[in-house]
Amino acid sequence: MTAKSALVLCMDVGFSMSNSAPGEEPPFELAKKVIQKFVQRQVFAETKDEMALVLFGTDSTKNPLEQDGQYQNITVHRNLMIPDFELLEEIANQIHPESQQADWLDALVVCMDLLKKQTEGKKYDRLVIVLLTDLCTQASPDELDIIIDNLKTAGITLQFFLPFPAGDDEEGGGDGDRGGSGHPGAGKGLSREQEQGLDMVKHVMLSLDEEDGLDEIYSFRNALEQLCMFKRIERRPTAWPCQLTIGSSLSIRIVGYKAVMDERLKKTWITVDAQTNKRDDVKRETVYCLDDDNETEVQKEDIIQGFRYGSDIVPFSKVDQDQMKYKHDGKCFAVLGFTKQSNIHRHQFIGNQVIKVFAPKDDEHAGVALSALIRALDELNMVAIVRYAYDRRCNPQVGAAFPCIKQHYECLMYIQLPFMEDLSHFTFPSLENKKFVPTEAQLSAVDSLIDSMMLVEKDESGEQKDMLKVHHIPNPAFQRHFQCLHHRAVNPGTPLPPMEPWLKAALERPEVISERCQAPLEEVKRKFPLTAVEKKKQLKTSAQIFGKDTGEPDAKKAKGDEEEEDYNLADIAEGSVTSVGSVDPARDFRTLVKLKSLPFGEVCQQLTHRIEQLLSNKNTHYYMKSITCIQAFREQSVKLGKADLYNSYLQSLKRSIPNRGLEVFWDLLVQDAVTLISKDEVEGSTVSKNEANQFLITDEKKEEVAAPTTEDTGDVDDLLDMM
Amino acid sequence: MAEWNAYYRNEDDEEEQEEGEQSGEYKVTGRDSLVFLVDASKEMFIKEEDGKPSNFDMTMQVVRSVYTSKITSSYRDLVALVFYGTEQSKNPRNSFKHVYVYHDLDEPGAKRVQEVDELRGSKGAQLAAKTMGSGETSLGDALWCCANLYSDIKLRLSHKRLMIFTCRDDPHEGDSVKDRQGRTKASDLRDTGVIINLMHLMKPGGFDVSLYFRDIITPPEDESDLGLQLEPCAKLEDLQNRVRAKEKKKRVLNRLNLCLGEGINVAVGVYSTAVPARKPPPIKLYRETNEPVRSKTRVFHTQTGSLLLPSELKKAQVYGKKQIVMETDEVDSIKKFEDPGMFLIGFKPMEKLKLHHHVRPAVFLYPEEDDVKGSSCLFSALLKRCSERNMFALCRFTARRNYSPRFVALVPQEEESDEGKGQITPAGFNVIYLPFADDIRTLDAPQLPCASQEQVDKMKQIVTKLRFKYRSDAFENPAIQQHFRNLEALALDMVAPEDIEDLIMPKVDQIDTRLGPLVQEFKDLVYPANYNPETKPAAKRKTADNGGGAEKKPKVELPEDELRAHVQNSTLGKLTVPVLKDACKKFGVRTTGTKKQELIDALIAQLSS
Repeated sequence: MTAKSALVLCMDVGFSMSNSAPGEEPPFELAKKVIQKFVQRQVFAETKDEMALVLFGTDSTKNPLEQDGQYQNITVHRNLMIPDFELLEEIANQIHPESQQADWLDALVVCMDLLKKQTEGKKYDRLVIVLLTDLCTQASPDELDIIIDNLKTAGITLQFFLPFPAGDDEEGGGDGDRGGSGHPGAGKGLSREQEQGLDMVKHVMLSLDEEDGLDEIYSFRNALEQLCMFKRIERRPTAWPCQLTIGSSLSIRIVGYKAVMDERLKKTWITVDAQTNKRDDVKRETVYCLDDDNETEVQKEDIIQGFRYGSDIVPFSKVDQDQMKYKHDGKCFAVLGFTKQSNIHRHQFIGNQVIKVFAPKDDEHAGVALSALIRALDELNMVAIVRYAYDRRCNPQVGAAFPCIKQHYECLMYIQLPFMEDLSHFTFPSLENKKFVPTEAQLSAVDSLIDSMMLVEKDESGEQKDMLKVHHIPNPAFQRHFQCLHHRAVNPGTPLPPMEPWLKAALERPEVISERCQAPLEEVKRKFPLTAVEKKKQLKTSAQIFGKDTGEPDAKKAKGDEEEEDYNLADIAEGSVTSVGSVDPARDFRTLVKLKSLPFGEVCQQLTHRIEQLLSNKNTHYYMKSITCIQAFREQSVKLGKADLYNSYLQSLKRSIPNRGLEVFWDLLVQDAVTLISKDEVEGSTVSKNEANQFLITDEKKEEVAAPTTEDTGDVDDLLDMM
Repeated sequence: MAEWNAYYRNEDDEEEQEEGEQSGEYKVTGRDSLVFLVDASKEMFIKEEDGKPSNFDMTMQVVRSVYTSKITSSYRDLVALVFYGTEQSKNPRNSFKHVYVYHDLDEPGAKRVQEVDELRGSKGAQLAAKTMGSGETSLGDALWCCANLYSDIKLRLSHKRLMIFTCRDDPHEGDSVKDRQGRTKASDLRDTGVIINLMHLMKPGGFDVSLYFRDIITPPEDESDLGLQLEPCAKLEDLQNRVRAKEKKKRVLNRLNLCLGEGINVAVGVYSTAVPARKPPPIKLYRETNEPVRSKTRVFHTQTGSLLLPSELKKAQVYGKKQIVMETDEVDSIKKFEDPGMFLIGFKPMEKLKLHHHVRPAVFLYPEEDDVKGSSCLFSALLKRCSERNMFALCRFTARRNYSPRFVALVPQEEESDEGKGQITPAGFNVIYLPFADDIRTLDAPQLPCASQEQVDKMKQIVTKLRFKYRSDAFENPAIQQHFRNLEALALDMVAPEDIEDLIMPKVDQIDTRLGPLVQEFKDLVYPANYNPETKPAAKRKTADNGGGAEKKPKVELPEDELRAHVQNSTLGKLTVPVLKDACKKFGVRTTGTKKQELIDALIAQLSS
């Protein structure tokens, strides 16, 4: 079982706590907020830590020690248990300022008693009492030393939260002006009781911990600032004991811990019925069916497992898979060899964790051996390449163990490296292209931008100061998540709140930087013209985005993929065809005519241009292709009722046949009976049906007639000009 | 039925999304396709004197490795293998002479791998001579035939590539008509978006690209002569690398703006260069026919049995014993911080980038001149200066819609080329993801003695003996390799899968011989005589526990009155199982179970009577 802590919140609700100067929040409210925030964090962190709540200064008395008028006005509100929303609601609704006063030392004793009794027989690694009070009540110091002794033997840590800062030279808080007004709890100045109380608090704290005792005294305001963020996710590091091996006979006992890990939220959303909010009302059922027209259902028992091997699907049962799969000897941390650190590229790190490897804490020989390795690697600037397997069930990895020498400890840091299968080698055009090479002026603009935006600077004492340590910022996703959950839990029925201002600010440029970089940014803007390129394609991508926007799950898309991939004329029409190409001119022509993005005449001209190109290759393949083009030309012309362009093209084509030696082609055209468009087909045509028929049949005769007229037909360009 | 489909919901919505974030899935808009157009003329079969494989043999090896790598990494890509300059002809309509379509465009499968295998080695050469022979060459016909392969495909192709493998720089030997046809067809193909690459092989006297092929191939992206300067491939490894570099299309994960400040947006593309390859997921099949089945999930009301529309569902999480309910769109809106993009925060010196600040694989950034004109210039200026001044840029990065931001370090990477043979690393920024406070765990480092210089020096000797040059592509993933060998064996009805070599297994024997006496010398320096690091830590602890074992497991005996008090206040739950068990023993309570609640129930039954 993991260790946990037990904590007693002990809050003063006595009458002085609700006194405040005009315009100031009474200490009671502040203390309540501190408690609320604190409990919230605990609730959402879902630690095993237990919490009790003791109030003092209450009108009534309820505690196990009350006897003979002792320990009066102290109420144990809640026994030690894991905090939950019930506690939060109680704090919100049941804790009010009351009208009595009680000795805070008495309350402390009640808390100690509670801790002692309720933690008996269970293991806690920390016992804490948190006292929130304004110290306005006279406390009797008679038994102070006994109390301190008891605290020490029980191993209880004390924390004080006061309306004012404790130190004489307190820097923060702002409400620490010592004055002589003597008005208790007025916010400015302390009363005699408070002075005395504070002295006692300091005495207690320093007795418990000589050095840092006073660090555990907080002011309400300070605490609130620190508590505003939700607890960062803390995971207890689990030890991974293993042996580092080099060859068969050299091994060193080690223990690995995850040191850095891409942390995720533990909980996932469950689906509930919108009306009843109950999970059990919603049932999910998965059925399997064949991919036929009837979607024939298949029973679960009749389903086996298979895998894809390229285009093949190979049935491969789980049992067989387990039997045949790659097996290994389990847990290992074996050195394959050593290599220069420079051979390892940072951007090739893979996986989502870093493991720190130490020697076991009770084994100094292993410590020395590992230390020798760490130092050797460090001095040689090398790393160990190791085979790492967490256990038998996990597949082994290859990774690098880097030496890491810190002031207080030494360790190896293991990071996974890629397998050959994981890498993709892309080549990119060089940026040393004349078009992109920046000028000196441009480079100096960038230089001054960098200068103005340096986040690490030396301060007056010559020490480097990092203005933004991002690894000290809590993950904003978690903060926002808990903020919204908390809001919904406490204020059901209201819309979600905006993001917390501090969180927003934490993600921005530090203010100093944003001020400093204004001018250099303007300069960069002047020196580097940037123009967004309008794209037709944008339409498509935004459609994709919108598709996603509707909350459609990705997997659904993947399934619909197959249909989507089917050849679709509409898709082509969407933008890919802009002119009649040479691969399938007939198809392009049809698409363009349908699209009407270009005038019909122009599309025809493009088509005839292609036909002429095709005909210049005297080859049957090209002839066939030309004929399909002419057929498409005819078909579309008839459809649109525009016969002229087609007819005149075909006539001029015919005239040019003898000159260009295209008789073979003409024969093919005759075979396919591709002739002129007659009046019968298109009203506007000037060709009668008979003429159309004659056009092909009277071929030879016409040829004779056509021969003398070659002079106006020979040139391809002339043909095209007619369009 | 239609209705039924409409209610289809995916079970693992959330999970998949998370996955997506991790591995950066690509938007699938079509299939990639690759045609190998291989010269089958006699020249290709000439064997080198020194026993090196012939050009043809080398090509087949490369084709095979591409087939298998497609099967493992992207089985949906289409691949074809076409020979030209053959005696025999075989193509869909048999309209082209001297063109032999060995494999038309399709997903590669086990059978195809086998068929390519058959063409390898001297037997392969014989088989090729028998089935195809060598004959006339018409590159125009060959390219046209390939064009038909593309146009016969009824799927949307996202990327079309054609690789010509040849050792003849003047394929038509001066026939200008054929030359022209080839050029025309090549330009037709390029017009339809097919990228034509030349994998030219060794030819006595050198391969002159400018003689003919310059007009055939697709000019390189940056219009420099990069593609043409290349020497012909003499080594299999070179050819493999060259093919591998071209074979995969650079797929951009997403395009977005790197914002330096108000109105200064550099368009960049995000590429992933190292993503853990995984075993593909299994497919569910119908036992009788082995055909894949589709799964459909529906959500209905337990009581009424009616189907539930998404609008009739909400999402919930339980914290502190309270169920907190939100609308589905609220759940999405919580995740949203800002639109996708990168925002420059500032700059830091490189030494501020900690080695151990690693949470996920890096991605690569390259400017997208086509989206914002001028991007390349500013990008290049930033890259240059960061690189020269040894700086990285700190940015806030939102990769996709409804993704929360992460801080990233843009680490400059300069272009490296391998003496005219090709690019090793491209110029651009590597994007290193940085951890948040939540990602860093607090560890108690043990306090242990450090090694003496003598001990360190001995270890240095060991380290030096075992030096090697690490290359990131040197290790195959044994688990994935085995999986595919198994599938291969099943698919091809082989008796047993081919053995794999586990490359990440330490070569213990070699290490031992290399180190020789060094190991013992080191052990003598650091370990006392009776020390054995091999003993299981657990066993060790046991001996240690002999002395202080009692302290560790305190026997908590509970006085009777206290127990009764617990029964009365019904606070028995606070006690631990061993204590409860002890109590049961003490009061002669017989329990069948060992569960806590069972123990408590038994105790209550005994003591409250």
